[in-house]
Amino acid sequence: MDLLEYQAKKWFREIAIPILPSQKIDHPRDLKTLKVPYPVVLKSQVHTGGRSKAGGVRFVSTTIDAIAAAQNIFNLPILGELPEVLLAEAKYETDREFYLAVVLDGVARRPVLLGSPQGGIHLESAWDKIECVVVEQEFSPFYARRLAVKMGLEGALIQSVSAIIEKMYRLFVEKDLDLLEINPLGVSAKGEVMALDGKVTVNDRAIERHPEIAAMAAKMASRTNNKEKNGALSNWDSVERHGKIGILANGTGLLMTTLDLVTNAGGKPATCLNLTNGFAVGTGFISFEERLEQGLQILTQDKGIQVIMLNLIGSFPTALEVADVIANFLQHRDSSNGTKSRALHHPRLIIRLAGNDFSAAQRRLIELDGQNVPIVLENLDEAVAEAVRLAKSITARRL
Amino acid sequence: MKLTPESKVLIQGFEQPLVSNYAQQMKAYGTNVVAGVSSGSGGKKDRDIPIFDLVEQAVTAVGAIDTTIIFTPSYEVLDAALEAIAFGIRQIIIVSTGVPPLDLVQLVRKAEACDTLVLGPNSPGIIIPGKILLGTYPQEYHLPGSIGIVSRSSTLTYEIARELTVSGLGQSICVSIGNDGITGSSLLQWLQILDEDENTDAIVLVGEPGGSSEETAARYIAEAIDKPVVAYIAGIHAPVGKNWGHTGALAAFIGRGMDFGTVQSKLDAFKAAKIPVAERPSEIPELINQALTKK
Repeated sequence: MDLLEYQAKKWFREIAIPILPSQKIDHPRDLKTLKVPYPVVLKSQVHTGGRSKAGGVRFVSTTIDAIAAAQNIFNLPILGELPEVLLAEAKYETDREFYLAVVLDGVARRPVLLGSPQGGIHLESAWDKIECVVVEQEFSPFYARRLAVKMGLEGALIQSVSAIIEKMYRLFVEKDLDLLEINPLGVSAKGEVMALDGKVTVNDRAIERHPEIAAMAAKMASRTNNKEKNGALSNWDSVERHGKIGILANGTGLLMTTLDLVTNAGGKPATCLNLTNGFAVGTGFISFEERLEQGLQILTQDKGIQVIMLNLIGSFPTALEVADVIANFLQHRDSSNGTKSRALHHPRLIIRLAGNDFSAAQRRLIELDGQNVPIVLENLDEAVAEAVRLAKSITARRL
Repeated sequence: MKLTPESKVLIQGFEQPLVSNYAQQMKAYGTNVVAGVSSGSGGKKDRDIPIFDLVEQAVTAVGAIDTTIIFTPSYEVLDAALEAIAFGIRQIIIVSTGVPPLDLVQLVRKAEACDTLVLGPNSPGIIIPGKILLGTYPQEYHLPGSIGIVSRSSTLTYEIARELTVSGLGQSICVSIGNDGITGSSLLQWLQILDEDENTDAIVLVGEPGGSSEETAARYIAEAIDKPVVAYIAGIHAPVGKNWGHTGALAAFIGRGMDFGTVQSKLDAFKAAKIPVAERPSEIPELINQALTKK
C-alpha cells in the first residue's frame, strides 16, 4: 500500500525527521484559515509520480492566488487520479538536494540503504550513481554513516544525513515497509537538512498487524471500491483479460502455466483466478471448497466468458471431493434458474483433475443431468486443447 | 541435510486446518513424525502423535529433533522458527503463507548465524519418493527414481512430477523453495544439494516470474553442475510486473534494469547457459530423456 505525501510526512514528524510547516487542505476554502505563512507551495496528493510536470504543484503568494490554484489542482487528474486533498507547505531554499531510501531487497534478502548526492530532478540522469549499503546484520548507526561517506559527504553533513537515515530505518522496521524514500532531502546553505518529499510503501501482508495502518487501508479500500466495479476480485489473486476462456487453478505457478498453455494453443484467456488463497491475511480461513464455489460464481457471472477451464491438482481435497463441489454448484445453478435457464448465460466447463480417484470424479460429473454437462479430463494438454476448441466453436456458432 | 526415514520430525501449528491430515499422510509415508506443538493443546494426542505446548517440552519427551514443519498463522511463523532454533532444530520447513518479509529478514539472519537450513515460506516441503515426505506433497503423483526437481511453485511441481511419473521417470527428490520475495533458501542452494545427491542423475528446474534466482541458478549450472538440467518457466504470457500477492514490490530497483524479474530475462539466462527449456510441462520428460542419452 502506497501512502500519500501528507500521510508519509505525518510519520516523518512523529519520528522527528525534519519537515516544513504544512497544512492539509480538504477544500479550497480551508486556505482562508491557512496558518503557514506565504509564499507557500500547493501540492496535489495523488499516488502517481510526475506531479510537477502535470501541473499539480503550484507556488502561491496570496490567499486569492492560493484559492484559485487550489480549485485548479482539485480538478486536475494526474494519470487519471483526482486528489482528495492538497498539501500547503512552506517554501524552502535549498542549496543541494539528496536522494535517500531504504528498500527491501529480495536478492540480498536484507533491507538496503540507498543514497545519492544528486537527488530531486537530477536523480533520473544520475540513476547509476546511487550508492548502496546492505544491512547485513542487526541495524546499527554505522550502516547509515557508511552510506553517507559513500555518497561523498564530508564534515558535519555525515552526521546530519546519517541521523536521518537512522530514523528512516527505524520507521521502515517499525511499520513493516517495502520502501521508504526521501526525495529530495533539501540541504540549505547553512547545512540544515529537510525532507521535502517522501514516498512510503507498506508491505501488504503486514498491514493487519498494525491497527493504525489497517484503518488507513480500510478507508482507502472503501474509496476505491466505490469507484471500481470489480470489487469482487479485490481479495483474489487474479489476472484480468478479456478473452472467452475463464481460468481457475490452484496455485500461482499452475495458474500461469494454464494461462500460457491456453494462449499458446491459440485461445484467448479471460479472467484467471488463483484458488489457493496464498494471501489470506485478514480474511479469515475460507475453505478450498467455498473458494472454488466463489470462483465458479465469479466466472459464470461474466457474460464474456464462454468456457471455464478448471485446473486442479493436489491431495486435499481429493479429485472426488472437488467433483462433489462442482456438481453441487451446477445442480444448484440449474435448479435455481428453473425454466428460464435457456435464456441464461451458461459457460461450458472443462475440468482437469488428477489423482487416484480421477475415474470416480469423472463419473460423478459426466453423469449429471441437464444441459452443458462438463467435460472432465486428466491430461492437461488435452484439456487445454478442448477448452480452446470449444471456445472457438461457440464463437463461430454465434456469428 | 539429514533426510532419512529415521530422522525425527516435529510439526508446529498442529491445530491449523488440515494439519492433522497432512501429519497422518506423512506418517503413512514412513516419515518419523514424533510430536506436534500447539499452544493450549499440550497433553492431547492426535492418534499416536503426542501434542505439546512448547517445542522445549517436545524435545524433552522425544529427544533431539532434526526437522520441524511450520504451519502456524503467518504472523506467528517467525516466533515458531526462533523457538525451534532455540531448542536445537537445524532444518526448518515453512508451509505457512503470507509471512511479512521483514520477519524473514530476521529469520534469515538468525539461521545463517547458527547454520540452520530454512525452506519456504509458502513451500509444500520435500518429498523423496518411496522414502520420506516432509510437508504437503500429494504422494500419488510420485514414483521413486533418479530425477530431482527444484522449484519455486507448489502445485506446478506436482504437475511436473506427475508428467515424469506418467512417462516412467521416477524422482529422487522434489523440493519447492516457495515463491515469496524473500525465501529461507535459494534455488542455488538446492541445486548444490541435488548435484551432490548420489541418487540424482538429472535435474528439472522450475521457475516463475519475479526476482533473479533463476538467472543466478543458470550461471551456477553453467559453471559448476555436470548433471543434465532441464528448465521450465511458467508465466511467459502473464502480465509483466504483476506481484501475484507475493512480495513483488521489492523487485526491480536501481541498476538491475527494466528486464529484472521477467520471464524473458530468465529464458535468456538459460539460453546463455545452454540449458534446454521446456515449452510446457509435458515436454519435460522428452527433454530429460534427450539430455540423459546425450550424456
